[in-house]
Amino acid sequence: MNDTDFERLAAYTRQFTGFSKEMESVLNGLSEQILPHLPDVTDSFYSVLLEIPKARPFLDGRIDSLKQTHIRWLEQVFSGPFDVEYTKHMYQVGDVHVKVGLPVEFMAGAMTLVSTRITELLGEIFQDDSVQLKQSIAAVNAILGYTLMVMQQSYESSRLAEELEKFLKITGMSRTLFDNLASAYK
Amino acid sequence: MREDMLTSILSDLNGSSADIEASAVISTDGLIMSALLPANLDEDRVGAMSAAMLSLGDRTATELSRGELEMVLIRGSQGYVIMTHAGPEAVVSVQAKSTAKLGLIFLDVKRAAAAISKLI
Repeated sequence: MNDTDFERLAAYTRQFTGFSKEMESVLNGLSEQILPHLPDVTDSFYSVLLEIPKARPFLDGRIDSLKQTHIRWLEQVFSGPFDVEYTKHMYQVGDVHVKVGLPVEFMAGAMTLVSTRITELLGEIFQDDSVQLKQSIAAVNAILGYTLMVMQQSYESSRLAEELEKFLKITGMSRTLFDNLASAYK
Repeated sequence: MREDMLTSILSDLNGSSADIEASAVISTDGLIMSALLPANLDEDRVGAMSAAMLSLGDRTATELSRGELEMVLIRGSQGYVIMTHAGPEAVVSVQAKSTAKLGLIFLDVKRAAAAISKLI
């Protein structure tokens, strides 16, 4: 994927999730209050994952480094920038997930866990300010939805690429032959 | 020049039996080098499909311990498609009528493939 494709993907994903510039400002405005709580969000996230037997093989022996990466990502969620580079980075994260063989449902499941925990946190922070609470939850949902969509796009492409590689290996076809065959049936 | 020579070999092949309806020389990547095909057949499809079938034939022969692939034969209700290598870089694909005497056709196809492999 080139930069133009990422710009297109970013625009498409914003349109879908409704993630706006105003929401970016809301997220940036939350950072001071929410950053101190992010390690707890990450801990709570991984403690749930550790209870899921299918998830354990992906966590064993890597939990500390995974937590660090997770916190770094959460910090970015509340600081931005949400530009093409962010889209590209999240696309690569999806790609890495495919390479380690992570089942596709893990991404949506994991994002739901994060969303639930952050919503609880926002509820505690803004218990006396329902307007701010509503705006904050909407912005968090939008950026998490945006991130999930980008990762799933990458997941789909990487999955197809992997399956194609397997098909080519099994059939003995070269990539060029496959491309010629595909273009003959366009 | 080389294309003319390939076409000449195909022309001889098509002329060797009234049962041969079409033939083509294709790169192993599926691109047509030379072809004598009826107008209703798409050259790109014949090329890519033939090379793909032969590639799969190679793999099947190896996987099922059948030794080196000699040819791939497809028999349909309207006739045959015969594909074989012409050296390491090319494929010959021939279409024949359902009434064709295959022994003679195989011989002619082998001869044509040998001549083509010397040219490529």
